[in-house]
Amino acid sequence: MKTKFAYLLIAVSAFVLMGCGGADSLDQPAKEEVTGGEVVVDFSAETMRNILVSEKAIPADYNNSVFGYKAYKIPYETTDEEGNRIKVSGLMVVPTGVPAIMKQIGFSLVSDSHGTIFANAEAPTVIAETTNSPDGAPVILTALSGFVTLQADYIGFGDSVGHYHPYLLKSSSAATTVDFINAARAFAENNGIPLNGQLFVTGYSEGGHVAMAALQALENEGAPVAFAAPMAGPYMLDRMGQGVLAANTLPVPSFIADVAYAFAVRYGVNVNTLVKEPYASALPGLFDGSKTRPEIDAQLTHVTADLFTSDAISRLTALDNTYWFTQTLQLNSTAYWGPQTPTRLVQCMGDDVIPFAMSTGTASVMRDNFGAVDIGVIPVEVAITGDANTSLRLGHADCATPAYGVVSKIFADVRKATIGY
Amino acid sequence: MKKIVLLSGAAISILSAAAYKLPEQSVNSMALSAAYVAHTTQADTAYFNPANMAFMGEKQYLDGALTLINLPSIEYYNIAKTKEENIVIPSLHYVAAPMGDFRWGVSVVVPGGLSKRWDEQPGKLFAQEFTLENVELNPVFSYKINDQFAIGGGLRVVYSSGVVKSDGRDGTPYPIARDMKGDTFEFGYNLALTYRPTEDINVGVTYRSNIDLEEEGQANLYLGSIGTQYDASVTVPLPAALNIAVSKTWDKTFTLEFGYERTFWSTYKQLDFQYSQPVTNPILKQAFDNPIPKHWKDTNTYKIGATMVMDKITVMMGFAIDETPIPDETLSFELPDSDAKVFSMGFRYQQTENLSWGAAFLYDAKEARSIAKGVSDNPVINANGASFSGGGAYLTTLGLSYEF
Repeated sequence: MKTKFAYLLIAVSAFVLMGCGGADSLDQPAKEEVTGGEVVVDFSAETMRNILVSEKAIPADYNNSVFGYKAYKIPYETTDEEGNRIKVSGLMVVPTGVPAIMKQIGFSLVSDSHGTIFANAEAPTVIAETTNSPDGAPVILTALSGFVTLQADYIGFGDSVGHYHPYLLKSSSAATTVDFINAARAFAENNGIPLNGQLFVTGYSEGGHVAMAALQALENEGAPVAFAAPMAGPYMLDRMGQGVLAANTLPVPSFIADVAYAFAVRYGVNVNTLVKEPYASALPGLFDGSKTRPEIDAQLTHVTADLFTSDAISRLTALDNTYWFTQTLQLNSTAYWGPQTPTRLVQCMGDDVIPFAMSTGTASVMRDNFGAVDIGVIPVEVAITGDANTSLRLGHADCATPAYGVVSKIFADVRKATIGY
Repeated sequence: MKKIVLLSGAAISILSAAAYKLPEQSVNSMALSAAYVAHTTQADTAYFNPANMAFMGEKQYLDGALTLINLPSIEYYNIAKTKEENIVIPSLHYVAAPMGDFRWGVSVVVPGGLSKRWDEQPGKLFAQEFTLENVELNPVFSYKINDQFAIGGGLRVVYSSGVVKSDGRDGTPYPIARDMKGDTFEFGYNLALTYRPTEDINVGVTYRSNIDLEEEGQANLYLGSIGTQYDASVTVPLPAALNIAVSKTWDKTFTLEFGYERTFWSTYKQLDFQYSQPVTNPILKQAFDNPIPKHWKDTNTYKIGATMVMDKITVMMGFAIDETPIPDETLSFELPDSDAKVFSMGFRYQQTENLSWGAAFLYDAKEARSIAKGVSDNPVINANGASFSGGGAYLTTLGLSYEF
């Protein structure tokens, strides 16, 4: 009897441990199902406020609303420079935690075209997918101002990585942007995101040029745009190219080298007619989306005459209209037309990459030569200081954030006057 | 899913020993603050010093107990506090009749564990829940070399499960969260010897081996509301412990035992979560994938216990001084431990010739702990310093012993 009891005890003890075998497995994280895209960032309004206060982007006692930040990656199709339909991608950022009135009336869209990038890792959807975190202009436009922000990755980045990036080429830049606006509107309708039909257009640097191209395409389609505010764009490519190659040195050789590479590919010209060896042969590898600007600059020369052929330098600096490069730069410029949409060219007077005169010159040409009805230039330093004689000067990179702040306020004022909130 | 049978839902917490090791596993050990190694009398001998089984009577011995543990809140400044915990833990010990000079026994105990739950920030950012549950099956044997000397040893079979939750998505600028569950079976050993130079003096030495608990399961990592699941594992040690104790009994009535315990926490150098695939998100990688330094120190515990046998009642009292293994640099919210003093008392009543029962109470008085700004690896504590107060533990044990 006693022996049986002992064995029973052992059995019970063993049973205790055997019964322990296996903790409950963990449920998969809840994943929001959306049609035609995927959620890649989702921060609540409280989180955004806490982050912005922590980063000193807003004061702790900030009285205005801060909205949540929900970003979707949306795949869509567009047409490249060669006329092929290709699969591309873009980021749509929607404010959350908004007052009921905003939902009832619906959100206004801001098409924001990003500045020059070289590495695919820098594309809006790639950043969002990689970090699941807010980044860049949508923080200002969406979290602080309540707009739905659209950022196309551009051809050559995101889902179309591997395709050459048609840098500053007008047709595909416009198509990528306009097609994304249409895709985003369809996505919103399919997923219950309320839009009010209002559209604003902006973009910085390359994005300023892309925004202007998109604005022209939208006007050509008859699509209404409430207000446009391209920022610091090289709208007159021919003049820009002339100025860059006229200088003995290139502070950032990757920019002009990418223009040469993209235009040579687009127009079927041997890039060696523009760029000298050994750099010419290296360009496809440098601009394949795997390298950042500093990595590319390190493999190029800063001496203009060592990077570009004497023929290219002499003919472009002379604005030789018989030269293919001059012709195509003029063809892809976005300054030579007259927007009918109210438009402000926003730029810092201290811009060290794109001369401020690019904006003033473009506004004059558009107004004087092409009949733009409501166009002007807003110097960012003046807008943020309220002093027309301010001595503040901000360079191209430092200007971006305050410039977006200026544009965001312009758009919000227009929205308030037209939509009511 | 299978569940723990006897210990269902037991969320074991910081108990009477520093960090997450629990030495008390019966009425006697609780009443004596675990100064219960040299002079052991019940079936719990199998756990506390199996060599002593050699000197027990000819019968079989059975001992079972239930311990109610109350864990008051720990407060971080006046900002946040942990949940108060009430937990019931069973223990079971058996010693078989001798077979010549050999004898065997078995214990089922909870040798350690931890649960800290913060509902408020900033604690929630690091330890919304940090729970470690351990159950040990410990079959042992003894061999009587002579009337003065015996040795013993056994196999430790430990089942452990862990829950790690942290969430900074409300009230902090760090919208990160982790939810992990895992479990494991691990093995170790224990050794013991007893030397009885005279009938009234016992010297006991025991050693329990280190067991690395490699909790394997899944982890969900979140940034905002976007989550990804990984197969994951993390290893924490159940540290080795060396006990040296001596007891003296006067007139077979009054026994005094002094004990020293060295716990080898220094094996806990870092907390390193491993994931089945790389955590590519740089924010999540920094928060949840980079190893967290621990650099715990070996600790000393000094114990004294007194036992008075009076007819049918045995009265016991104990006291211990316990060190924390956690240096200021790596103290964090999942275990804001501190040095402690342990007070205990209890009794046992001989109901019949074969049956006795008893009760014990132990108070684990944790010292408040402050950390200056700028010395901690934890970013919140480093920036703000820390003052942890409250905590400690109240343990009440009821048990039965039967011999037959």
